Amino acid sequence: MTEIELLDSIKKNPDNFSELFKLYYKPIFGYILRRTGNFDDSVDIASDSFFNAFRNINKFSYKGISIKVWLYRIATNEVNMYFRNKQKYNLVFKSVDFENKDAFNSLLYEDRKEMETELHKHDQYLLVLISLKSLSIKYQEVISLRYFEGKENKEIAEILNINEGTLKSLLSRGLEKLRKKCSQI
Amino acid sequence: MQKFEEKLIQMTKPDVLHLKHEDMLANAITKAKDKSVVSLWWLIIPLYIVAALTMKTIFMPRTTLLSNLHELTSNESYTSVVFIIINVKSMRNIYFLSGNPKMITFLKETWYHVLILILSVLILIIYSL
Repeated sequence: MTEIELLDSIKKNPDNFSELFKLYYKPIFGYILRRTGNFDDSVDIASDSFFNAFRNINKFSYKGISIKVWLYRIATNEVNMYFRNKQKYNLVFKSVDFENKDAFNSLLYEDRKEMETELHKHDQYLLVLISLKSLSIKYQEVISLRYFEGKENKEIAEILNINEGTLKSLLSRGLEKLRKKCSQI
Repeated sequence: MQKFEEKLIQMTKPDVLHLKHEDMLANAITKAKDKSVVSLWWLIIPLYIVAALTMKTIFMPRTTLLSNLHELTSNESYTSVVFIIINVKSMRNIYFLSGNPKMITFLKETWYHVLILILSVLILIIYSL
């Protein structure tokens, strides 16, 4: 199924959103986890990102960007809001009724254990993340998308809705700042 | 600088291969339906105004519902336009999130919005007269 077909099927029947969820939840969650380095915050941010996407998907139309880029854009905005406010607001967990909350919490517990073990396997990354978090958000987002997610400049520019020239200059300045911060550790 | 860039590319990063909570979360989000789109705070405003109008009509001597409506619209005409925008937007969201339902099902879910829309339009007509 192509993205356009998937979008049409969601517009006809919102329950088909779960197909989109299956396709993109893990990569988006991974992106958020690699930016925050915290499992619980990543669950909050990722679930809010998808909840916002679900509420606004009827407004989405192909204007040069794919659904994947659109989801990364929403997730990036949510992560940036998290870094600016440093407070959790859990839109999903306030608005949505879970049929079996205990079962959900137990699955979250298992995932948390697994992800925390995974995070601690990458010491060097965790040290770089500490330095990255001390930089301004505009540098955090470009460096994370380029070097943690391995995205091409064109896609990063689309996600952040900036031109490639601005992106290159942000990457160059951000990288220099990050290098200096890392050398202090 | 190039060395540092290579170091960033080559260093290992945490990966997410599977998440057990994924299916339950997807299920919960797609079942959110209209619950999440209509904030009760928006609904309190028209309710308050309708209650105030009714009370004023009943308890204030020498006033009628029409004169009170007229007074309201001459002071607060923009409120009607705001209500119309809010309710049309909410109904549009409900229509989508309910999976394009049949007209009767849709009206059952949105009767309150329809009522406020009719009242708002009525107030606007009286105001423009």
